[in-house]
Amino acid sequence: MTEPTTTCISCGMPLRSAEDHAKGDTSRPYCHHCAREDGSMKSYDEVLQGMTAFLANAQGLDQAVARTAAKGMMASLPAWAPARAQA
Amino acid sequence: MPTSRAQKKEMTRQRILDAALAQCADRGFVGLRTAEVARATGVSHGAVFSHFPTREELVDVTVATVGRAISDRLHAELRGAAGLREILTAHLAAIREHEEHYRWLAIEWPNLPPQVQRAWLGIQSAISYHLHAAAERARARGEIREVPQHLLFNTWIALVHHYLIHRELFAPGRSVLDERGAELIDHFLYLLSTAPTRASDPGSN
Repeated sequence: MTEPTTTCISCGMPLRSAEDHAKGDTSRPYCHHCAREDGSMKSYDEVLQGMTAFLANAQGLDQAVARTAAKGMMASLPAWAPARAQA
Repeated sequence: MPTSRAQKKEMTRQRILDAALAQCADRGFVGLRTAEVARATGVSHGAVFSHFPTREELVDVTVATVGRAISDRLHAELRGAAGLREILTAHLAAIREHEEHYRWLAIEWPNLPPQVQRAWLGIQSAISYHLHAAAERARARGEIREVPQHLLFNTWIALVHHYLIHRELFAPGRSVLDERGAELIDHFLYLLSTAPTRASDPGSN
């Protein structure tokens, strides 16, 4: 069986090793993609922009489709669910 | 060992879910029939709804269970996979374990709930990410031609999904990935290669 994997609270990426975490710090529950250079977590808009680009580039999605999908994904993630459930 | 009421309830819920999963493997998610799930589980039709208040909820939980299993398997398979062939092999191995359900997800995707569609996009994007990273390394070594990330992924997934969706043409009643998976990987790598040799040739990658 696969062992349970924790995921980034901001984008949902699996955090399998220290290097997946921001600044390689396992006490930070978010990934290096969702961290700024100083290690702090990016804002909602920054993450939304990054996730939209990620989805669009990965599959050639229409920008609006990618943005809607990214919003939907973020709405179910712990970092954003409370504040942005209605976004 | 005595079983508490809560444990019995959880066991029944799991049996209902298992019956739903078995039915979906045969006929897909969209047309899930709760009366048949009840019969297969050996409970009353009403009992199904005491665990899953609506048919839609049972479909959602069933799809989410499959999605999680495929995603977990994929991440486990991809761990340590670095080369293009390794990534493609890992991808097919993850799908293979849930081939029936995956095939239905590919067929019924437009008619599945939005959260399922998003989970699907997330899984596919993760595969694209790994594929692209491996392709960039191979390109830096001059082994393959340059292909934009989305076309690299979409070409691969189109090939795989075509064979899965039309399985009855290629491997009726059997696993099309078992029978054709290696051929698809060889062909895809052949298309990308800067010095095409058939993958079956000695020394090719």
